[in-house]
Amino acid sequence: MGRVFNPLEIKNRSWLKEFAQAPCVLIFDDFVRVYFSCRPPADEKGQYVSYSAYVDLNRNNLFEILRLSETPVLQLGKLGTFDEFGTYPISVIRHNNEVLAYYAGWTRCESVPFNVAIGFGISKNDGQTFDKIGDGPVLSYSIDEPFILSGPKIRRFGNKWYLFYIAGKKWILDNGKPEPVYTIRMAESDDGLNWVKQNKDLITYKVEENEAQASPDVFFYQGKYHMFFCYRHSANYRGKEKGYRIGYACSDDLKNWIRDDSKAGIEVSEDGWDAEMISYPHVFELDNEMYMFYLGNQVGKHGFGLAKLENYQP
Amino acid sequence: MKWQKKGLLFEPAKYDLPNGCTAFAQSPQTLVFDDFVRIYFSTRKMDAVTGKYLSFIAFADFDKNFTKVLATSVKNVIELGGLGTFDEHGIFPINILRHNNKIFAYTCGWSRRVSVSVETSTGLAISEDEGVTFKKIGTGPVLTCSLHEPMLVGDSFVQFYEGQFHMWYIFGKRWITAHAGEPPARVYKIAHATSADGVNWQKEESKQIITDYLNEDECQALPTVIKIDKRYHMYFCFREATDFRTNPARGYRLGYAWSDDLVIWKRDDANSGIAFSDKGWDSEMMCYPHIFQCDDKVYLLYNGNEFGKQGFGIAELVTG
Repeated sequence: MGRVFNPLEIKNRSWLKEFAQAPCVLIFDDFVRVYFSCRPPADEKGQYVSYSAYVDLNRNNLFEILRLSETPVLQLGKLGTFDEFGTYPISVIRHNNEVLAYYAGWTRCESVPFNVAIGFGISKNDGQTFDKIGDGPVLSYSIDEPFILSGPKIRRFGNKWYLFYIAGKKWILDNGKPEPVYTIRMAESDDGLNWVKQNKDLITYKVEENEAQASPDVFFYQGKYHMFFCYRHSANYRGKEKGYRIGYACSDDLKNWIRDDSKAGIEVSEDGWDAEMISYPHVFELDNEMYMFYLGNQVGKHGFGLAKLENYQP
Repeated sequence: MKWQKKGLLFEPAKYDLPNGCTAFAQSPQTLVFDDFVRIYFSTRKMDAVTGKYLSFIAFADFDKNFTKVLATSVKNVIELGGLGTFDEHGIFPINILRHNNKIFAYTCGWSRRVSVSVETSTGLAISEDEGVTFKKIGTGPVLTCSLHEPMLVGDSFVQFYEGQFHMWYIFGKRWITAHAGEPPARVYKIAHATSADGVNWQKEESKQIITDYLNEDECQALPTVIKIDKRYHMYFCFREATDFRTNPARGYRLGYAWSDDLVIWKRDDANSGIAFSDKGWDSEMMCYPHIFQCDDKVYLLYNGNEFGKQGFGIAELVTG
């Protein structure tokens, strides 16, 4: 359906210069709040910090922007904490009268550029801002998940909480530059704070053994769980050939998934903002339609766009 | 408690250690065999690329009266971690526990950061060759930062008491900006976790079990615990958060606490029974204590001045 939001067109937000990554919605009566992650210009060393923010779209016309958040929705962490240099991406969910946020917090390392763990925040103002309840992560490293816990997607099915996320497996060197390999994982919780990891890759690899997978976006539809995600090659992935594509899998129990990318039903365009790569899908139902937000070229440097599921039956 | 000091036990400069390590024998910890005692320690070499130190584990075997070194390790005891892992830049310290014919090693892995110097987590490795080498059970940690323990989890010491594994360890509360021009300084405290299998741990989450003696920025490190009769005794080291490297008034010394239930600890430094010497290798600093039993005697290993650059010493408990 085309591009919805282009961060390069935004003025008067010093913390938003480029990128609008990893869209995620919170639906209100008359508008749809879309969270995304963005960056101010890089510092003198070429390094970015990242923030999460939102844009409110007219519920009846998702291409009409009503407003943009005045500030980032989460503060960066204190000196030496896991989220000192970034809070990206973010996934939100309503619970009682609050909105809960799970986000990836970024720190900088010496031998590799960064490490990531998953943090938690609570909003009491309908998701305009979130407060952390501790300085540390809510989901952290473990024996088989040594680094880069990122890309959280929070879901609640029945009385149980599910966190889909990615975990780093290894860093490989691509022409001397460290590049992370990560896969899709899941944890369960009774309270949203204490998590039991499944300690298992959910999605088999396709393009290569070191395929990197991200954005595990899960929903329930017609008696089954469906997951859209994105994947890429381990090296040279910043161009079209080895860049991100959107994959698909389904499951009856949230634990065992069958990958079948042929059913994803979305590919890169012939030309334009999403002709080189498509990534970070987020699927949601709204007014008897099923939509997908996703990122285009350069992993969302130029914003996100919208697609609609054909032949959707609510 | 009353200890009789027996002096400097091991000087690393006198031995050929693996990995080209020449100085430092820090945080000595033991594995007691029938006819000798293996003492593990962390030693260092300079990283040729960065000019920074890397800590490696080595050991020395002693006779049971600690009169001579029988052997030192020839192989690397445990590999440092791969690119981007929690123990890529050093393992210091290592704590060894023999339990049900298995030999566990709880490691403190170091990895370097940009805005602060370092982050740490606790790893687990197992030996199948009587403690000569250890193999990690995975590339990640068994205990690391969490919601209310945001950083610097490490210095784990594990014992099996009353039907479960107990771990005493430290966690970082915050990094503070010291004086202008000085790098950020860390503040850490002693905590406790339990486990049924030694692998999966339950923290008490940000519960500091040893009260501060100096001030709220007191840094507490390296807890070591022993049960004598019905009482548990803990030694640890503590210091001021800043200006601690060369100023003996602010540097590491030994602290002491006791508990009868493993829940409530009574800090009682006045009864630690050991203090700085008037002169010599432990006259300005005492740190990284380790208590162990050998035959019917209880010993304390510790480092002295300059964080153990010259090696470690030993003391024997004379009254409990």
